[in-house]
Amino acid sequence: MNRRVVITGLGVVSPAGLGAGALAEAIRAGRSAVGPVTKFDASRYPSRVAGEVRDFDPSEGVRKDQGRYVKKMAKVMAVDIQLAVAAANLAVLDTGLPLGDAKADEPVLPTIDHTRFGMVFGTGFIPTELDDLAAPAAASVVDGKFSLKGWGSSGIPKMFPLWLLKYLPNMHSCHTGILWNAEGPSNSLTVSDAGGLLALDEAARIIVRGAADRMLAGGAESRVNPVLMMRYCLLGRLATANDHPAAASRPFDLGRTGHVAAEGAAVFMLEARDVAEKRGARIYGEILGTGAACTTAGVNACDADGRAVALAVRQALAAAGIEPRDLGAIFAHGPALAMHDRSEAAGLAAALGSAAKSVPVTAIKGVTGNMGAASGLVELAAACLLARDGHVPPILNCDRPDTEAGLNFVIGKPVAMVRDTVLATTNAIGGQAAAVVVRLIRAS
Amino acid sequence: MKRRIVITGMGSVTPLGLTVEEMWSNLLAGKSGIRPIHIFDAETFPTTFAAQVPDFDIAPYVKNPAAYAKAGRNVRFAAAAARMAWQDARLAAGGFDPERTAIYLGSGEGILDFFSLADSILAGLGPDGKVSAVGFAEAGFKRFDALRELEQEPNMPANHLASEYGIAGPTYSCLTACAASTQAIGESMDLLRTGRADMVMAGGTHSMIHPLGVTGFNLLTAISTEHKDEPWRASRPFDRDRAGFVLGEGSTIMILEELGHAQARGVRVWAELTGYGSTADAYRMTDIHPEGRGPAAAMRAALADAGIGPEAIDYISAHGTGTTENDKVETLAVKTVFGPRAYQVPMSSVKSTLGHLIAAAGATELATCVLAIRDQVLPPTMNLETPDPECDLDYVPHTARKARAEVCLSNSFGFGGQNDSLVVRRFVP
Repeated sequence: MNRRVVITGLGVVSPAGLGAGALAEAIRAGRSAVGPVTKFDASRYPSRVAGEVRDFDPSEGVRKDQGRYVKKMAKVMAVDIQLAVAAANLAVLDTGLPLGDAKADEPVLPTIDHTRFGMVFGTGFIPTELDDLAAPAAASVVDGKFSLKGWGSSGIPKMFPLWLLKYLPNMHSCHTGILWNAEGPSNSLTVSDAGGLLALDEAARIIVRGAADRMLAGGAESRVNPVLMMRYCLLGRLATANDHPAAASRPFDLGRTGHVAAEGAAVFMLEARDVAEKRGARIYGEILGTGAACTTAGVNACDADGRAVALAVRQALAAAGIEPRDLGAIFAHGPALAMHDRSEAAGLAAALGSAAKSVPVTAIKGVTGNMGAASGLVELAAACLLARDGHVPPILNCDRPDTEAGLNFVIGKPVAMVRDTVLATTNAIGGQAAAVVVRLIRAS
Repeated sequence: MKRRIVITGMGSVTPLGLTVEEMWSNLLAGKSGIRPIHIFDAETFPTTFAAQVPDFDIAPYVKNPAAYAKAGRNVRFAAAAARMAWQDARLAAGGFDPERTAIYLGSGEGILDFFSLADSILAGLGPDGKVSAVGFAEAGFKRFDALRELEQEPNMPANHLASEYGIAGPTYSCLTACAASTQAIGESMDLLRTGRADMVMAGGTHSMIHPLGVTGFNLLTAISTEHKDEPWRASRPFDRDRAGFVLGEGSTIMILEELGHAQARGVRVWAELTGYGSTADAYRMTDIHPEGRGPAAAMRAALADAGIGPEAIDYISAHGTGTTENDKVETLAVKTVFGPRAYQVPMSSVKSTLGHLIAAAGATELATCVLAIRDQVLPPTMNLETPDPECDLDYVPHTARKARAEVCLSNSFGFGGQNDSLVVRRFVP
């Protein structure tokens, strides 16, 4: 008999603010958190809008000793890592697990087996902050030009010693693991936009196979920086609708112009159902099935027919043992780039078959922008909270829906959510597609 | 009853050769792959040597070389290793379901366009020592190449392989530092056991032999700066005078199959994968837990997964990086797990000649375990000249050794406290 896996904690840091509640509120209100780029002067970039996370404190709410650790280490944590740590802290605090007394030298979570507590994060490959290389690069100039010989002799000594560790993509789990004493399995998936949902897929399987009882599944990324925004501008992926930031991110809308670069993190606490029930945990929902696939269309392309998304969705539905018509809602990736949206829509339609006309499909990137590896789980977290309202929110900024695939997009106003089973999907350009089916448990 | 998992294909591109067999014969001969860095001008860097993959042409390994024009070394290595694994597993004629085939790589970044980055930073550098994104962008939009930028993302090797072979099933990349490809192979076992896939193309690929890679490790004082004039002596696992690891690069790709799938294809089986353990130290960002808590737990978990005790292990392929801390702690952890028998279990580090392939290290070292099982011979730890009282196990020093090798344990421990171990054994139907 397979172990069953439930969601018992949610932590979200998104452009809408700190906490899953802030995100749900912005979605309910139809309020976009996208604005002009303020983190750097983007005036020379074709895309100058972003979903930025402002003023978050990654040490909020945790024990004093943990807070000291976070404050001390913050200077060697790139923003991606700080977002991850903040969301993980919120997720653990949300579980209701009692915290140990630091003064009495108790473990941070005294009621759990720390060797059976692990984590999987979806992460990006974090680019260096430009200022970290400024003085070293300046010191490397020989005869008016940057020189590797100069870098070796005069640049390297000007770097700060822990520079590499500030950016390693497994530092999300390293720091989170230290903070919460998680000695179980630990992984960091670098699969672009699919990172969050694939992290949940793997974390759930780790619990099912019995290698852990509790896993944090997370996704975190910041794409709001000069290096990544340049990369994605060069690749023609970013939105150029700069004049109206709140309307810039337009999932599945015919007027879409591309992704809005954004940043954020979401972390889920997953527990084996028997373990969670034994402690009387509040349960948001149960992971019924997951699916994963890959496009073969090339590294900078999407399947026109969405076959990777379709395969991932079929796997997830089969694993859940449900039919497409049993879905109450779909929280799609919908990053608002034509090739990307169309591929996903075609894949969803193929997997849903005749249910495509009826199952409500929504997307929240009109509110947040594209948070990369954080996206899938931020969306699933929103689904967990919004389900309590009993309805599916509309797609913000989708005024003229691209109906080619024949999906039932939620436009303009919410629709009733008649079943408690939701599907979340992501597809990364050139790569991974992922699907997760969750049965939500409404608060009584 | 767990589904059984077998290795049916292997391909390697490493500093010791462009095939698995060439690497193996060089390893057994104690030949070093460590040389002065020629990929870029490292003359003034604190470390001037590394274990580099010999130059090769990608064309024989891929259908459309143009699709790899902007690819990084990591992608090129993986493309070559994958083709050899594919042929080795006799998949060239088909006989697999693309949707039931997965990819799982431990893979690192492509090589950063460092000159463009540095020049663009200088273009934006203001009198306050800060970089303005205005100047950075004005220079950068002219300098950076879109596809070359894309190719730096760490999922590119897996994505190229999916396109190259039409593999449409689950595809993952992980980057858990030096443990990544051991973890990739371990998690692939779960995909096969749970029936998520019937076959997985799994392994690792990485090169950090680029200016910022060497810079980063030099800053951490993780890589050796000694023996500059005789770089083949610089990688000294378990030696008293060890002074850090030596960077390597390369790729090893394996074809893993559920046993029934392999038997139905009638393919030769290299070995059986029976155990995987993954743990975290949860100790400190920069230090390993002094008692080796995490590594010991990973080894125990792998043994438990394989359903065997430590007495069943004939050989340990050590993580054995040659840093002061790793080798001491790994030795301690092995003693914790194996008890007094630790002294009777040979444990060697191929990193002494191969260098440290980072995300590709684990898969490559697993391949050496498979070959040890085939040939009943253990690769030596070279440069172990002066014993360290804290490293007093049998590290197979100096020369390869004929020995029983039926069941092997392969260890990988990464920066950030990631610990992963695999158990591989001779396949007995």
